[in-house]
Amino acid sequence: MKLLAVAIAAVLAAIVRIMFFTPIELLQGAAQKIYYIHVPAILSAYLALGIVALMSIVYLWLHDERADRLAESAGEVALLFTTVTLSTGPIWAKPIWGTWWTWDARLTLTLFLWFVTAAYLVLRGAIDDPIMRGRYSAVLAVLAVLLIPFIHLSVYLFRTLHPMPIVLKPDRPSLPVEMLTTFLLSLGAFLVFCVALIRARYRLALLRDATAVP
Amino acid sequence: MTPQPITPDTTSYYHAAYLVAGALYLGYVLSLWWRARRLRK
Repeated sequence: MKLLAVAIAAVLAAIVRIMFFTPIELLQGAAQKIYYIHVPAILSAYLALGIVALMSIVYLWLHDERADRLAESAGEVALLFTTVTLSTGPIWAKPIWGTWWTWDARLTLTLFLWFVTAAYLVLRGAIDDPIMRGRYSAVLAVLAVLLIPFIHLSVYLFRTLHPMPIVLKPDRPSLPVEMLTTFLLSLGAFLVFCVALIRARYRLALLRDATAVP
Repeated sequence: MTPQPITPDTTSYYHAAYLVAGALYLGYVLSLWWRARRLRK
């Protein structure tokens, strides 16, 4: 719980910096500040899904139940962060694009990722046999993570309304230093928060397995 | 004279996004706590 407390404190500190010590963007107004939680949320989701895929490969290879348990925990946290991304995005889009949602490539693929992540958790809940559950869900997880490069590159591959990357791109970041510092602090805080949530969820899974009736 | 851009007032959207994200994160942390409590009983 110590790591979770540190992570929550880091997120709160990042939010204080966003609210009181980061300038308001001239063209979008205060709505631009949604960027500081929206982008870290999807990058945290990618981190969690990366852990799911990696642990799934480890499970398929070694049949180690700890890997399966960690994959399950990271999968649930990935769904949380993808939900935050899909909730904050439309709230930004309404005043900036004039619409809550548009079926462009990046939004649609991210929604598809949300459904696949939810399906992964539903599949796990639907299979009683732990070996079959671990095997089937691991295969789905490895396939699901293949969506991530398509989502990131979708703004280059298709005509899309979604803004191009302004930090994670081959050139230098296009944000002014003050905003870039805020973004990096927020990203760091949310990545630690993501790891802390996965750890807390893993402990819960351990407790569940320890108290399970054979 | 170059016209100056007028910054729109989008504060309500900014606050709404932070409230929604906060509610989702808080809800998940509480669900972890609740599930652990139920298992310990």
